[in-house]
Amino acid sequence: MSDVQVYDSDVKLVPVISQIRAIWDNRGLLSLLVRRDLTVRYKRSIIGIWWSLLNPLFTTAVMYYVFNTVFKSRLPGGAPFLPYLLSGVLLMAFFNQGLTMGADSVATGAGVLTKVYVRPEIFAASSAISSAINFLIGMIPMTAVLMIAGEHPGFRSPLVLVVIVCMTLFVTGLALLLSIAYINFDDSRSLITIFLMALQYMTPVFYPISVLGPHTKRVIMLNPLTSYLDVFRSVYGGGAVVTWHEWTMMIASAICAFVVGFWVFIRKWPGLVSKL
Amino acid sequence: MSDQKIVDVTNVSMSYRRTRHRVSSLKQTAIDTINRRLSYEQFFALRDLSLEINRGETVAVIGRNGAGKSTLLKVVARVLPPTSGRVIVRGDVAPMIELGAGFNPELTGAENIMLYGTLLGRTRKQMQNRIEAIADWAGLSEHMDIPIRAYSSGMTARLAFATATDTTPDLLLIDEILSVGDEDFRDKSKARTIEMMNSGCAVLLVTHDLAAVTSMSSRAIYLENGSSKSTGKPEDVVASYLEDVHH
Repeated sequence: MSDVQVYDSDVKLVPVISQIRAIWDNRGLLSLLVRRDLTVRYKRSIIGIWWSLLNPLFTTAVMYYVFNTVFKSRLPGGAPFLPYLLSGVLLMAFFNQGLTMGADSVATGAGVLTKVYVRPEIFAASSAISSAINFLIGMIPMTAVLMIAGEHPGFRSPLVLVVIVCMTLFVTGLALLLSIAYINFDDSRSLITIFLMALQYMTPVFYPISVLGPHTKRVIMLNPLTSYLDVFRSVYGGGAVVTWHEWTMMIASAICAFVVGFWVFIRKWPGLVSKL
Repeated sequence: MSDQKIVDVTNVSMSYRRTRHRVSSLKQTAIDTINRRLSYEQFFALRDLSLEINRGETVAVIGRNGAGKSTLLKVVARVLPPTSGRVIVRGDVAPMIELGAGFNPELTGAENIMLYGTLLGRTRKQMQNRIEAIADWAGLSEHMDIPIRAYSSGMTARLAFATATDTTPDLLLIDEILSVGDEDFRDKSKARTIEMMNSGCAVLLVTHDLAAVTSMSSRAIYLENGSSKSTGKPEDVVASYLEDVHH
């Protein structure tokens, strides 16, 4: 057997399987891309890390003031509002950032995809993974807030990793779908901002599900992000009780988004790359 | 021996569907759809092109701007999947197309060498062992630990060239023979390119430098509107190209 690489354009890639293998074979590149994202973001300093936490923390502070002080909203059972809010903001930031960064890095091709053969899925995956790491870093101040509020991450807290893995898969698949829109339509970037805002309101980030009427509640429960948030709050803190229904919803939506995203993307990519 | 044939392009066509106004916004598409003015035209960048390159051969591609030369390079580089036809490439490919793809200004010289080399398909371990040699060759050893946004454009180009050429490929794809940097480095980079071309690999060279075509290539192709207008001995092909240009 020779180890000569052969490229034959007639050999078709198998959707999902070939793509996962390509990501695995290029895991060295993947980790360099993740490291690049983090280096650029944090500028190699502890201050840089704290600086990038300012955004979610400040968002949380503003929302806390608006909803806790102005609207005087209270969680059922008098559960503390701050951990509830912060967990929502952090998870939404994970989703938003992974999605838009991933779609962007595929759509702009990082200036690479038209010059060198690299599977573009690697770029989407690396953005999702660096957003996951940002999320993990954001959990440091969140843990502090939890402790101050008198809650303690319990023995179930390692299950957070399941939430993170699911969200990473979910976001990678959706980012690939979004990149198709980005490449085809220049103005899809501004539309997605509106869509993400609507999605934010449709996820119980700052309100408890219990205040909703039965009809609205059904809509909100159909939003897969609700299940991620509920599971995260129930295993780590922030106050939520979940059933197997939320777990199923979370895991199923992750697998679904990943498979559909990869499947559609591999079909569309030959037509897209010439438009880059 | 069959493995001597490095590149085998058979009846390859590359076509794009373009909207009439070449618009790419959702708004314009919606307006055009409602007004029933959305129409597409097929545009052929390559048309039924065949090409073989054996080990040790240098094939030069000439033609006017927009004739499909760069598209051909990208099809062979695996970047563009052909619309029809078949492309087979055996062995490692070194694409010298717009060098420095993926360079990030915030990363240091060493980190950029690492990332760029890995993007070009080399392993991290291979790159780890080569960073010093690449930096040395580029004459940038003292600047490895600073972000390349502090580099001059010449220094960045040297770093890109040194990284891209630090390899012994089976196929070399060249989009114009580059000479980068200052006077000294220009000679050095040109010499390195020629050294690579003569290393026994297969070479696909796209260039407007007709003197280079006759002196360096073993065969030439003259592309016009995506198809091969003439092919064969470099002198003959260059002559037929010049005849068309001067008309």
